[in-house]
Amino acid sequence: MTDPKQGISEREAIEQAKQGNEAAFEVLYQLHKRRVYSLCLRMVSNPAQAEDLAQEAFLQLFRKIGTFRGESAFSTWLHRMTVNVVLMQLRKKGLPVVSLEETLEADNEAPRKEFGSRDVKLTGSIDRLQLQRAIDRLPPGYRTVFVLHDVEGFEHNEIAQMVGCSVGNSKSQLHKARLKLREYLKFMRAEKAKTG
Amino acid sequence: MASFPYVSFRQASLRQVGVVALVLATWLVSAAFAETQKEYSFTVGPNANISVDTQYGAISVRPGSSIQVVVTATLKSDKVEVDRQQNGNRIQIESHLLPGANEQTGQVDYEVLIPPDATLSVHSSTGPLSAERLQGHLTLEGPDAMVNVRNVENGHVHVRTMRGPITVTDVRNAYVEIASIGGDVHLKSVTGPVVQANSGSGKIFYDGDFGSGGDYRLTTHTGDIEALVPADVSADFSAHSVLGRVQNDFPLQPKQDSRFSVEAGRSFVGTVGKAASKVVLRSFSGRIRLKQR
Amino acid sequence: MTCSEVERVLPELLADAPDGALPEKFEAHVKFCPACSDLISDLKLISAEARQLAASEEPAPRVWVRISAQLRSEGLIHDPESAPAQPVLAPASTPPRWRWSALWLAPVAAAILAAGSYVISHKPAPPVAKQQTPATQATAPAAVTAAVTPAPAPARAPQQLAQKSAKPESVKSARVARPAVEPAPSAEDQQFLSAVSTFTPAMRTTYELQLQAVNADIRETQAYVDRNPGDMDARQHLMDAYQLKALLYQIALDRIQ
Repeated sequence: MTDPKQGISEREAIEQAKQGNEAAFEVLYQLHKRRVYSLCLRMVSNPAQAEDLAQEAFLQLFRKIGTFRGESAFSTWLHRMTVNVVLMQLRKKGLPVVSLEETLEADNEAPRKEFGSRDVKLTGSIDRLQLQRAIDRLPPGYRTVFVLHDVEGFEHNEIAQMVGCSVGNSKSQLHKARLKLREYLKFMRAEKAKTG
Repeated sequence: MASFPYVSFRQASLRQVGVVALVLATWLVSAAFAETQKEYSFTVGPNANISVDTQYGAISVRPGSSIQVVVTATLKSDKVEVDRQQNGNRIQIESHLLPGANEQTGQVDYEVLIPPDATLSVHSSTGPLSAERLQGHLTLEGPDAMVNVRNVENGHVHVRTMRGPITVTDVRNAYVEIASIGGDVHLKSVTGPVVQANSGSGKIFYDGDFGSGGDYRLTTHTGDIEALVPADVSADFSAHSVLGRVQNDFPLQPKQDSRFSVEAGRSFVGTVGKAASKVVLRSFSGRIRLKQR
Repeated sequence: MTCSEVERVLPELLADAPDGALPEKFEAHVKFCPACSDLISDLKLISAEARQLAASEEPAPRVWVRISAQLRSEGLIHDPESAPAQPVLAPASTPPRWRWSALWLAPVAAAILAAGSYVISHKPAPPVAKQQTPATQATAPAAVTAAVTPAPAPARAPQQLAQKSAKPESVKSARVARPAVEPAPSAEDQQFLSAVSTFTPAMRTTYELQLQAVNADIRETQAYVDRNPGDMDARQHLMDAYQLKALLYQIALDRIQ
């Protein structure tokens, strides 16, 4: 990966950063900041918290950069570190990282299903803003698995290892998250149709 | 078909003991923090002016009686007091931190009912702040507070945050002025004679029709601006990003604008319908996008 | 296969390969069942759209400011060619008397705004063809300049890594590279931070970081305006940046008074 502005490759930037070169650190930051911050934001739905978490993820990475030997992709390393930082924060706050319940949970905040839209397909594309809002509404456990899998592209065995659940639980949570998002998105569309 | 598991007498007793212990622990914790709730009522006349100020805590304001202001304050500990003052139609409520108070122990959450057309000013460093179904002059401010304003008609809405996100929904025919140094701004179905939103590094989302023949100005420094509008919008659009990209997915009628030269990819101008409203989207380095719903 | 059987196996089938082909008997049911067909279609759509959200958000510039400050404080940055690190915080000599020190914030906030607009409107511009306003020879008075200038000129980044491009081929190449060393805060900013430390110490770090971020925006925009003096929109953005700095002062002032 090369930063066009600086004209150096990621590998060169890593080596320079190991020598304490600030501009090299900045190159690495600029290359990966969107991915790291987006991941944090999706997981915690709070921009101020997401900034703090992104900062912490980069700091942890930069502190350990001397140990990076290039066995795996740098972005993979950073990605996993970011997830660990976020999960640690969620655990510290006592928020459920992944629900332990395998069965469907009663959700008092679930949108009422009285608009007759349940059998109507989500046609066309989904509005990105609505999808973001719907993800923000997900319970933390569902949101974690959904973001890690569908947004960030982690496999279920990776998710299971990171969050400390079974692969089956991860798949189940993902499915429930998608079902819930489907409900929310239909509800939002119905609301929008009502207000015009 | 699931079968109920057999529960022994010993298991049931242990469970009961556990529940009692949990209730006792919860009571002890609450007692330690001495959370208390207090209610204050004030009688006011027309043109009431209410201000609520707390360093830490949420403030939620809704319409109530036209001649009364009711304040319900939940104090999280005995390290904070509520000072209140009434001078005629002016009500001032303020949290007063005592020595040793911190963000947790100094927290006071307020629920306030005010006359719908009263002038309101609320401030909290942490928030969240919310106001709904009001018609007066509203000012909401908080450095890190999440601010939510909804269902306001014919009023004035002023919101200022440092990095707290701001959401304004269903505000019609109002003067709206929003400023944030780094918070995101979401405007949904917001119309009025003047609607201005300015965020330094935060993003601005507008979902609505830019109606009422108003003057709409959305400005960021580095944040992106995204506007989602219906096909039947009637507006005169100008968009320009000095260093960022602009993207227009909307069929605009071209027009000459002498304010700045149209540079492909960095700016666009044009009208839709009768161009009743004026919409100016500006950013220094953020991305600007106009999309059709 | 029935609808309830489909629902039972759906989590497993869609879990890893939502876009992949489904088993034959599954397909046979779905083909003739609109409810199941719609459900699967919707879930696949949600999954596909979600992927677009990755890396879609940009953090505020202050995040890098904080990171670099922390790296520097931990000694992880040690670039021998850069200027000696300026202390970010100026040690407060004596705590200002609260009434006097708090009251100056309001006029300073107004002065920042007024000075910013004066500098922007009176900045001398070279005689270029697209000049919108008549060039003036007046230069900002020294006192106003001192109040307005957020920081002294920063040291340049090391040459082996920094490459500035004059052509705006991409968004990033038109921007000025942020300095390797954060410039020392101006006297007014130092007094501001000192007052914040005294009256709202818990918010000190937050205000300081916000101040660094707005100052960085002002510097960046000023540099752009210096290179493009005829760009009126950029000048307006510079004015907006000063307004945001004044807003920061005002937000703090409301807390202190």
